[in-house]
Amino acid sequence: MERKIPLPMLILAILGFCYLLFPILVVVLAGLTTGEFLTFPPKGLSLRWVISFLNSEKYLSAFFFSFKLALMTMIVSTILGTAAALFIARSRFVGRTALRAFFLSPVVLPGVVVGFALYAFFITSGLGISRTIWGLWIGHILYSTPYVIGTVGASLATFDVSLEEAARSLGASPMRAFRKITFPNIAQGIQAGSIFAFIVSFGQFEVSLFLSAPNSEPLPIAMYNSLRYKFEPDAAAAGIFAITLVIASVLLTNRLVNIRRLLERQDG
Amino acid sequence: MTKATAVRASGLSQHQFKWLLVVPLVAFFVLFFVIPVGLLFATSFNPAKVGQVALVSDLTFDNYIRFFSRSNYLIAAGRSILLASIVSVITLIVAYPMAFVIAKTENPARNTFLLILVLASMQLDMVIRLYGMMVILGDNGLINQILQSMGLTDGPVALMYNFRGVVFGLVQFALPFMILTLVGVIMGIPPSLEEAARSLGASRRRAFMRVTLPASMPGILSGSLLVFALSISSYIVPALMGGFRVGVLPIHIYQQVAESARFQFGATIAVILFLISATAVAVYLKLGKRSSGGLA
Repeated sequence: MERKIPLPMLILAILGFCYLLFPILVVVLAGLTTGEFLTFPPKGLSLRWVISFLNSEKYLSAFFFSFKLALMTMIVSTILGTAAALFIARSRFVGRTALRAFFLSPVVLPGVVVGFALYAFFITSGLGISRTIWGLWIGHILYSTPYVIGTVGASLATFDVSLEEAARSLGASPMRAFRKITFPNIAQGIQAGSIFAFIVSFGQFEVSLFLSAPNSEPLPIAMYNSLRYKFEPDAAAAGIFAITLVIASVLLTNRLVNIRRLLERQDG
Repeated sequence: MTKATAVRASGLSQHQFKWLLVVPLVAFFVLFFVIPVGLLFATSFNPAKVGQVALVSDLTFDNYIRFFSRSNYLIAAGRSILLASIVSVITLIVAYPMAFVIAKTENPARNTFLLILVLASMQLDMVIRLYGMMVILGDNGLINQILQSMGLTDGPVALMYNFRGVVFGLVQFALPFMILTLVGVIMGIPPSLEEAARSLGASRRRAFMRVTLPASMPGILSGSLLVFALSISSYIVPALMGGFRVGVLPIHIYQQVAESARFQFGATIAVILFLISATAVAVYLKLGKRSSGGLA
């Protein structure tokens, strides 16, 4: 019997995975290197730069700033996104596909342009939140909410509406039917969506570019500003913590929802 | 009206307050997305005045005339489009075998593991991934160290701070999006199609070229448009991998606004970039609708 996957295809795929993953591995190695910078072959491993990161004012405060911003973004995105996903799944409003596309559009539209638009809007409208955490918060909510809508929408699509209808026909009020039947069934989808929202905000660069202030920067901006001039191994050490956070959240997402199913619904 | 819809009609779906669910997000998007982008469009029609952000009532096409009459901006627009097109093609070539292998891996644990790798790299902050790319491709980077220790080159080979470097970086950035789009489509192709071709005597290669590849066409088209839109919009990749030597539209926007305080002209470039990207997205959405109805 022949192999299911032809050998040339397999080799090309392995090379592709190297291209995707090797830079990430390099960051981990650069953060753990003994020397001043990463050489090939590596000189040896040490926790020197990890300790340096934990003592650095610049990266540690940026790390916690991003963490706080991502938590704030996660809370609002989860609430607004879940409510909107419920509406889109349950209404028979003709424009709901267009509405969904509208809510998802920030993901693919240029973040620098949207960040610039918000920056100018905050100045001209006199809101006084340009280059503050509040302005960043608003920009991040725009870019994180689509992921909540996608994830919650997928779990609503697999949920059998007749369960809720049965509860209603047995006399439950709409709120009670939602609380007792629908919510427990989509709770894991909501949790997965909120994790996505967190991690998208934590790694957000393009929107933050115009909105962040010099002394309170999210981690990606702080890393970018130093990376323009030189490679600092403690930036790579900060990267190790970010990589750990991302892997943990994707693993957690996988426990909550079926990642395969999430993909199948992407076009819907 | 069937029984089921009659029951549903009494449920949450027909209830008056279901609108309340979507009102907050609509309000948020109108206030912080539609209005700011709309004002940006308006700003681009204001006379250029350094340092001024506020809108004025004078309308002019001067900024657009300036954009389309200066060769360096036209070249930047052309370079952006060329870059995004090259990246779409290369990303497709690199991603297709990866997506094919993921889609054909039947062992659920192994399949999930591969998807987790793709998703985790997609979610990881681009600055961190570019740090890795720069350590690999720099003049003193790993590839140049290896080439020199093997005596293949005398001086360093310039792998970044040029157009090539930006392409390398953007492909790394766009790969997960292309893979995820293709996996969905390839998984949806019934294996019986290829089996039928094989049983009629087609070689494996011929069956793939004549059946599987054409059947993945909707995914190939929508994935390429998605990658085009994402890579033409990227600031961080040209900034770091091009070292500001590859002047694409997002770099020009930042320079006009943050370095020269020319808000009106910055807005003009932003509008042009926004329209190019939105066109690609609109075609993507249109294709997505047709392909989901057409294939099955």
